[in-house]
Amino acid sequence: MDRVAALSHVTLRYQSGAQALEDVSLVVRPGERLCVLGSNGSGKSTLASVLCGLLAPDEGTVTLLGERVFDSGRAEPIDFAAYQRARRGVGLVFQNPDDQIVTTVVDEDVAFGPENLGVAPDEITVRVERELRRVAMMDYAKADPTRLSGGQKQRVAIAGALAMEPQVIVFDEPGSLLDVRGRRAIMRVMGRLAADGATIVHITHFMEEALEADRVIVLERGRIVLEGTPQEVFGHADKIARLGLEEPFAARLSRRLELPWTCDADALEQAIAHRLDKTRAKLPSASNAVPYFDDSPSNKPAIAAEHVSFSYRTERKALDDVSLGIAPGSSVAIVGQTGSGKSTLLRLLCALEVPDAGNVLVNGISTRRKRDRRKLHGTIGYVMQHPERQLFAETVLEDVAFGPTNMGLSAEEVARRCRAALDLVDLVGFDDASPFELSGGQQRLCAIAGILAMRPRIIVLDEPTAGLDPRGRQELRWILERIGEQGVTIVQVTHNMDDAARADRVIVLDQARVMLDGSPREVFCAQTRPALHDAGLGVPTALDWALRLGLACQPLTLDELVACLDLSIRPAQSEEV
Amino acid sequence: MALKISMGQYFAAESPIHRLDPRAKVVAGLAVMVSVFFIHTPAQLALGLVAMLGVVVLAHIPARKVVESIRPLVFVLLLLSLFNLFLVNTGEVLWTAGPLRITTDSLRAAWLYSLRLVVGVIAAALIMLTTTPSRLTDAFDAMLAPLSRLGLPGHELAMVFSLMLRFIPTLVDEASAIMDAQTSRGGALGEGSPIKRVRAVIPVLVALLASSLHHANDLSRALDARCYEGGAARSHWHPLRMRGADWLALLLVVVYFVTIVLWG
Repeated sequence: MDRVAALSHVTLRYQSGAQALEDVSLVVRPGERLCVLGSNGSGKSTLASVLCGLLAPDEGTVTLLGERVFDSGRAEPIDFAAYQRARRGVGLVFQNPDDQIVTTVVDEDVAFGPENLGVAPDEITVRVERELRRVAMMDYAKADPTRLSGGQKQRVAIAGALAMEPQVIVFDEPGSLLDVRGRRAIMRVMGRLAADGATIVHITHFMEEALEADRVIVLERGRIVLEGTPQEVFGHADKIARLGLEEPFAARLSRRLELPWTCDADALEQAIAHRLDKTRAKLPSASNAVPYFDDSPSNKPAIAAEHVSFSYRTERKALDDVSLGIAPGSSVAIVGQTGSGKSTLLRLLCALEVPDAGNVLVNGISTRRKRDRRKLHGTIGYVMQHPERQLFAETVLEDVAFGPTNMGLSAEEVARRCRAALDLVDLVGFDDASPFELSGGQQRLCAIAGILAMRPRIIVLDEPTAGLDPRGRQELRWILERIGEQGVTIVQVTHNMDDAARADRVIVLDQARVMLDGSPREVFCAQTRPALHDAGLGVPTALDWALRLGLACQPLTLDELVACLDLSIRPAQSEEV
Repeated sequence: MALKISMGQYFAAESPIHRLDPRAKVVAGLAVMVSVFFIHTPAQLALGLVAMLGVVVLAHIPARKVVESIRPLVFVLLLLSLFNLFLVNTGEVLWTAGPLRITTDSLRAAWLYSLRLVVGVIAAALIMLTTTPSRLTDAFDAMLAPLSRLGLPGHELAMVFSLMLRFIPTLVDEASAIMDAQTSRGGALGEGSPIKRVRAVIPVLVALLASSLHHANDLSRALDARCYEGGAARSHWHPLRMRGADWLALLLVVVYFVTIVLWG
């Protein structure tokens, strides 16, 4: 069989009339690693469902694993029996790990698929053990999946799909809800599968992940608009930007340095290292090419935690003797791996939980008394993880008005605040739409508008960009910048070190304690990298490059890295001046 | 406002009770629960409690766990006691105040009828504590299989039961997240007049319903992708098999049941 799946002129419309796929022709070859990119709503997930045999299109032909499952030229376009046969050879892993695990014990969940295929018990034992070993979850064979981290659950889901021994496996944004470490583990598993010759279709929002593919296709409004090797696809820099995607870091760097364009990090590193070697002797030692910005001393903190400890039930401490003060109007990033206590800290700061020991003060008011806590809910806005899951009203406007109305404001004031909030998140004109009809990114913005309409002086966000596409992430960054300019104190938990480096201050949590606390430049440097690595964290991409290249400076952004490399690569010019 | 419930809390241990066939455990548990309604004397009650304590010890379950499973019901049992205390009118009158009257019979009913329910609650708790939800599902699947022969969806019912056990913790987490979100937006959950409270719950329910539908959608995708077609062609990784110990357990339960019934 020279093709695992073949779509020819496939068109699919949803009942609402929305076009999901438009004249898509695609061949997936055996042993190939195909990556599908595109912004939210471009039809990626629909394509995944068609490739898995879970969704039949309206027009065109679909051949899966040699079965002609759909042919709009036939009297009966859909061949249900063929679909059933084909599905047995296709594995699927999708976004939300919670919804893919159907039983309450890890190894039994992996066995679920093979049981459905009628595999003999002895053979199931072999497969369960093999696949759990492959995804490094053997130690958790008897664990309760609801107690695992998102990344671990997703690995169980992968093992469950692999245990069915599929001929092709479709990954539909498997890492979009995971932290960095979880995502890296998924990529490792995928790399191992590819090395073993598995056929992989990978849908993702992360451009760096696409670099590992043999072939990349980019969808826009249901059409394939770019196709080729990663190098070819990302070569269309303008088009990539217009499609709401972003170039990989290496591609941007090579262009800024005016080196031969490449998106291959290793090749670029070699090219730079090659030019550095010649000039290294002239490099000023330990010079910091980038000016150092100090935090301005704060007067009275907006939020303060004093020796705070907290635990849920009898389990180990979720927070252990944490002290910090956050200056009004500053932006603070809290980083740490899953289970380090970040979310608990946010809940305490937002007065949703009261510490077991120590005190949390918001604007000088302790969160201990219930009456004070109620008052604080208007001062401090809390955007939880996936806030769109908490939408409930019939219209966008009603949902946004929920907070200000509860504050007892006049109808005109509520209306004015809602308008301003919707304006800020760029959702003007959606007032009467149902929040459930919005796209995923818009739902997130609507939920955030609901918090902003309360005009909090402090806003606390738990991974606000998780699961968004590059354009959505960028929009959210702009919104936060605008809020920051209005003097609002911003505290956000993030998994993205590049985002963290943009804050005024970074707090690193590890095992329920504050491990590092300081300006991005103090927290992210050569000295702290080993400790950060041990805590399951990385450093900003620019710093990672500088350290790998052995540069004397420690840049945190692409601009700083370019400035630094310009100095290092062309010292001769600066001497002439 | 973190919600915690102790439903389906399996307690991992190596014991003869853990090793029993889940079908045997379910049948035995049901028998004990039915037997509760034949308990009318302190002697019968003592037998029931002693038997349950014996099983708790055999199953290596710490007493704390058993108490935890009874605790949520203490209020209901007390209420039941009160009803019995004032509504049973036969027997010798001990105390009266207006329409209220306590008699020898009502006093006896108050403590005996509440405590006998504890026997049934412990039996139910023991099943949940010593059986993983998956094994429990297997048991229901096997026991509902005759329904399939009649054309009723026996396997599907068992699957629904299994998914319910799997998703309860997820939905509880979600409900508590939604309640947090609304509290931090000034929602007045659990405050004010009863009407206010009910009204405050509506947004929570709507959001929870929306997210349940979302889960259901995803779940059907997952089940399809893993080729779940229900029933017939499925194999079982650990097929259920009744062994000597299982039959012995059932025999002991029969003896217990007959003793309770005849002793009354």
